[in-house]
Amino acid sequence: MRVTGNTFTTNFLNQVTRLTARQQQLQTQAATGQRVTAPEDDPAAMQRVLALRAEQLGLTQFKNNISILQDRATNAFNALKGIKSLSDRAGEIATLADGTRSQEELKTYASEVTQMIKQAVHTMNSKYGNQFLFAGTASDQPPFTIETDADGFVTSVTYNGNTNVTENEISDGSSLTIDVPGANTTGTGARGVITDSRSGADFFNHLISLQNNLRDGNISAIASVDRPALAKDEENLIYHIGNNGVTQSRLETAKSALLSRTDSLEKMISKQADADLTETLVKLTQSQTAFQAALQSGATLMRLSLMNYLS
Amino acid sequence: MLGLFGTLNLGTRSLQTQQSGVEVTGQNLANVNNPAYARQRLQIQTSLTLQSQIGPIGTGAEAVTVEQLRNALLDGQIRGEESVGGYWLAQQNGLQNAQITLSEYLDRSANSVDGTSNSSSIGNLGLSSALTSLFNAFQSVATSPTSLADRQALISQAQTLATRFNNVTEGLTGLRDLLNASLTNDVNAANQLLTDIANLNDQIAKAELPFNGKANDLRDLREQKLEALAKLVDFETVTAPDGTFGISIGGVEFVSGKNVIDRLATLGRTGEFGGPNEIVVASANSQTALTVRGGSMAGTIDVRDVTLAQFGTDLDTLASALITEVNALHATGATGANFFEGTNAANIRVNADLISDPSQFQAGVAGEAGDNSIALALAKLSSKQIAGLGNSTINDYYGRLTGRFGQDLANANTQVSNYQTVSAALLRQRDSISGVSIDEEMANLLTYQKAYQASAKIVTTVDEMLDIVLNMKR
Repeated sequence: MRVTGNTFTTNFLNQVTRLTARQQQLQTQAATGQRVTAPEDDPAAMQRVLALRAEQLGLTQFKNNISILQDRATNAFNALKGIKSLSDRAGEIATLADGTRSQEELKTYASEVTQMIKQAVHTMNSKYGNQFLFAGTASDQPPFTIETDADGFVTSVTYNGNTNVTENEISDGSSLTIDVPGANTTGTGARGVITDSRSGADFFNHLISLQNNLRDGNISAIASVDRPALAKDEENLIYHIGNNGVTQSRLETAKSALLSRTDSLEKMISKQADADLTETLVKLTQSQTAFQAALQSGATLMRLSLMNYLS
Repeated sequence: MLGLFGTLNLGTRSLQTQQSGVEVTGQNLANVNNPAYARQRLQIQTSLTLQSQIGPIGTGAEAVTVEQLRNALLDGQIRGEESVGGYWLAQQNGLQNAQITLSEYLDRSANSVDGTSNSSSIGNLGLSSALTSLFNAFQSVATSPTSLADRQALISQAQTLATRFNNVTEGLTGLRDLLNASLTNDVNAANQLLTDIANLNDQIAKAELPFNGKANDLRDLREQKLEALAKLVDFETVTAPDGTFGISIGGVEFVSGKNVIDRLATLGRTGEFGGPNEIVVASANSQTALTVRGGSMAGTIDVRDVTLAQFGTDLDTLASALITEVNALHATGATGANFFEGTNAANIRVNADLISDPSQFQAGVAGEAGDNSIALALAKLSSKQIAGLGNSTINDYYGRLTGRFGQDLANANTQVSNYQTVSAALLRQRDSISGVSIDEEMANLLTYQKAYQASAKIVTTVDEMLDIVLNMKR
């Protein structure tokens, strides 16, 4: 093939431009560690990465959900534990209040029970953020309100919440209910903590009855009515505490599943989008060598023509 | 026998011939860097012989023509390749602009240290992360339905998404205007080239007819104009006996001989995909649209009417599905209000009432502050397969959209790179035939110079011989 001076220059320019473009591409890959940056780089990989990244972002949200739910479950657990210790003490008082106690002692117990009711109402009105924990979905107001008589004895405790509970998603397609209502007398849905028609629990009314019987010295009623009733409350509370534990362990399991899924997603994204650094650097070195060689040989050859040898 | 005077004439003719050779070499060397130039060669031929008793005797040599070294087939191939290149370069240019508008870039360094992304540092302006972030924001509200802060975050996330949709659509509209403008520029440039070619046809015919030679430099110039025109639009040529080129585009004759019969024009029309102010290439005489193939005109029209139009339609489908699905759920709340307003990607926006009061967002049934049923259903939309989107989820649909778009651009990139390779090979081939080589020309210069010196020697020798003859009688 006949080669002219300009063929040489044009070819040289083409080669150098191609090598420069290649070096630029490889350098970008080395600097970012990415093989794919824009859709044009590898459309199929980009499409897969978009889907994987959307899932990854979704998982981050599920992790946030879980930590909020864990906090809420812990708060609920603390409240239940508080109620449980009050229930224990109430059972103890109901047992202590027998014929051996004087009227004065019984009255002291009665006022202790009054204080316990107030304490229990306070505990059941616990909040997480601005949300009352035991109000069902009517969580913007305190679920329990208390009425006292002139002597300071509790006459009634009213439940203002409802029996609905919310569901929360903790992973794709998997939901769980973390909240429990303060009371449920409908016989369906989530069981109430204080009052529940299915288990026969009605803790506040049972405490009020104990308080009144202690105040009135009605020992036989305490033994025959209050003690068995309080035992039902105890059982109901144990059910809720157990339930809370199960929920927390489910959250923990879901969280570690999310973490391992996040790791594998990261690996999958990396496989699609990341550059093999060793390969990239080797290729970069190759192009750099070729670039230097092209410049050096080109510069030497292009200077020469017949002109150099004509006098 | 020529006689002394005859030989003197021979020497003079030879001097003139060698001088023409030097002139042609000079012309070649002067045009060494002119890409349109094809090298020329002086054709030298022995002049008429004289009959004598000892047989025919040569009278020297004379220059007959200056020939241009050009391969018409190669020129045709290069024109064809320029058309292909113009087409794909226009596609690549349009799609690259659209890619910037879409801003769907992957930045893995924006991820947090543990390898997970969080919505604030995703480092991405694309729709993909905005869509996922919206569903995440619905999840946040579902988890804490009474939290006003989460609602505010949700509304601002929804606004971000709506703005992204608006920006991409505006970007595509702007791009369509730019493509229309580029089409108008191409049409103007093509008209100028058609005029130039007709003028050159005229000059070539005038220069060649009386002298029976070839107007090499004018032909070079015309070839350059033809290649420039091929870059803009594909055309057919008809070579006339007088050396002029007739040009037809899309079956309509535009140049015949020295006359420009028709000119290109642009016609406005309402776009096939509903886009306003689209322009098409037309014949100025008949005012009807032309089917242009190849060249940047066809590339621009195709990228505007096929790839980008389809992309815009798909984006509208996506926005419309999102609006319908989200509104259908949100309207089941107490206010019955819509979450999004608008109907497509261009006009999607968040309900103004929600922006001014995020607590108006309906997370659940009326009167139950802690109910999250609606927010949860909205969050679950992310995995819902929607019939209007070909039974795919919103994110998958968008992913496919981006993938298809990327594929179009990657294809254009490959085609452009193919064009560059083929074009470089063809130009190399043409250069091997038509290119000027300094080495060659220097060697030719030496040859002509030596021949000139030798011819001068003939003249001086004959001169001396004539002196001797004249001095014979004193």
